[in-house]
Amino acid sequence: MSRGFDPLVKQLLDGERTIADLPPELHAEAAEALRLQSAIDRRDVSLSRDLEARVMAAVRARADSPAKRAWRWLVAPSVPRWAIGALAAASLAALLIGRSSSKQTTPPVTASQPAESAYVKFVLYAPGAHRVALAGTFNQWDAGATLLARAGDQGVWTVTVALPIGQHQYAFVVDGRRWVTDPAAPNVDDGFGRRNSIMSVTPTSGPAL
Amino acid sequence: MELKGDPDGVVVRAVLAGEVDQYAVLVRRYQNRYARYAAQLLGSADDAEDAVQDAFVRAYDQLAQCRDPDNFAGWFFLILRNRCFAQRRRFRRESGLDSVPNVPAPDNVEAPLEQAERRKALQEALAILTMEQREVFVLKHVEELSYEEIAARVGTTVAALKMRMHRAYDRLRELLKEMR
Repeated sequence: MSRGFDPLVKQLLDGERTIADLPPELHAEAAEALRLQSAIDRRDVSLSRDLEARVMAAVRARADSPAKRAWRWLVAPSVPRWAIGALAAASLAALLIGRSSSKQTTPPVTASQPAESAYVKFVLYAPGAHRVALAGTFNQWDAGATLLARAGDQGVWTVTVALPIGQHQYAFVVDGRRWVTDPAAPNVDDGFGRRNSIMSVTPTSGPAL
Repeated sequence: MELKGDPDGVVVRAVLAGEVDQYAVLVRRYQNRYARYAAQLLGSADDAEDAVQDAFVRAYDQLAQCRDPDNFAGWFFLILRNRCFAQRRRFRRESGLDSVPNVPAPDNVEAPLEQAERRKALQEALAILTMEQREVFVLKHVEELSYEEIAARVGTTVAALKMRMHRAYDRLRELLKEMR
């Protein structure tokens, strides 16, 4: 049966110790570890010269597809495409963030004017926050594009945005670094180890103000 | 005009605004950066090239979901990583094997024979590690990142990475002894 490396030798491999730090009885094992380390292949790997051309051919084909054009329309920075002046109160997506736990008071729903876009009001309770932003597919996940404003001095932050009818993924960004999903809204895996809240904006829900 | 020297965020936003050809700037900028990582993970330079190509196309498809366009490189790395892990899972399912072929050691007339043999043996042993163990080994010892940098990239803790790495050391020692 084989024995693993001594913890001190592992620290040597990790670059946290030198061989001089090790007791003499571990020097032979350390030499074995350093031989292993010297066998590591760090040579570069060359890719074909035409890789860029292949990628760009695929990308251009996608850019020209009707599905892609529709997607770009959906996620484009939103200049409201609906009749100006129809100030609809939307819905409320309230996210309560406590210092140690999250709590939701109002379920997230979206409502709107019967049009191509609708106003959606987001409310976040974040008493310890200095800055809160809303990022999602509708603003290209730009954490600086849609800031929430303080509503009073009780730690409530709000923002009302016009969103195209359709499904959107989003998250709140607290103090520029903490991405928080909406605990009352469904969420989905973003494919990269995090989760996004998901919402649907429909043209028929809720009265206009 | 090509945005050659512009930050990633500027290029990403231009692509999203419809300037599709600007995406080539990002492809040129990053196609080689992670090729070695992919080749070490997949055990083949050809598979690495396919993975890099697929990852770029997938990144374009999902570009609107890139939360921090100025960190396109980190985001792209995660897409490529997912692609490599998916290929490994597929390989295991289809072949029933627990390892992938090793990266063939390129001819190198300057390397002493013993060094070439040690390198080949280590590549074979690396191919037998779990994907997670192999990845941390590659990022630490081939890409020469610190544990903190690796943790930030793959979204785990330094303690978890060290445990994974130390198990990999033990496994490598065992495998290299068996190969002698």
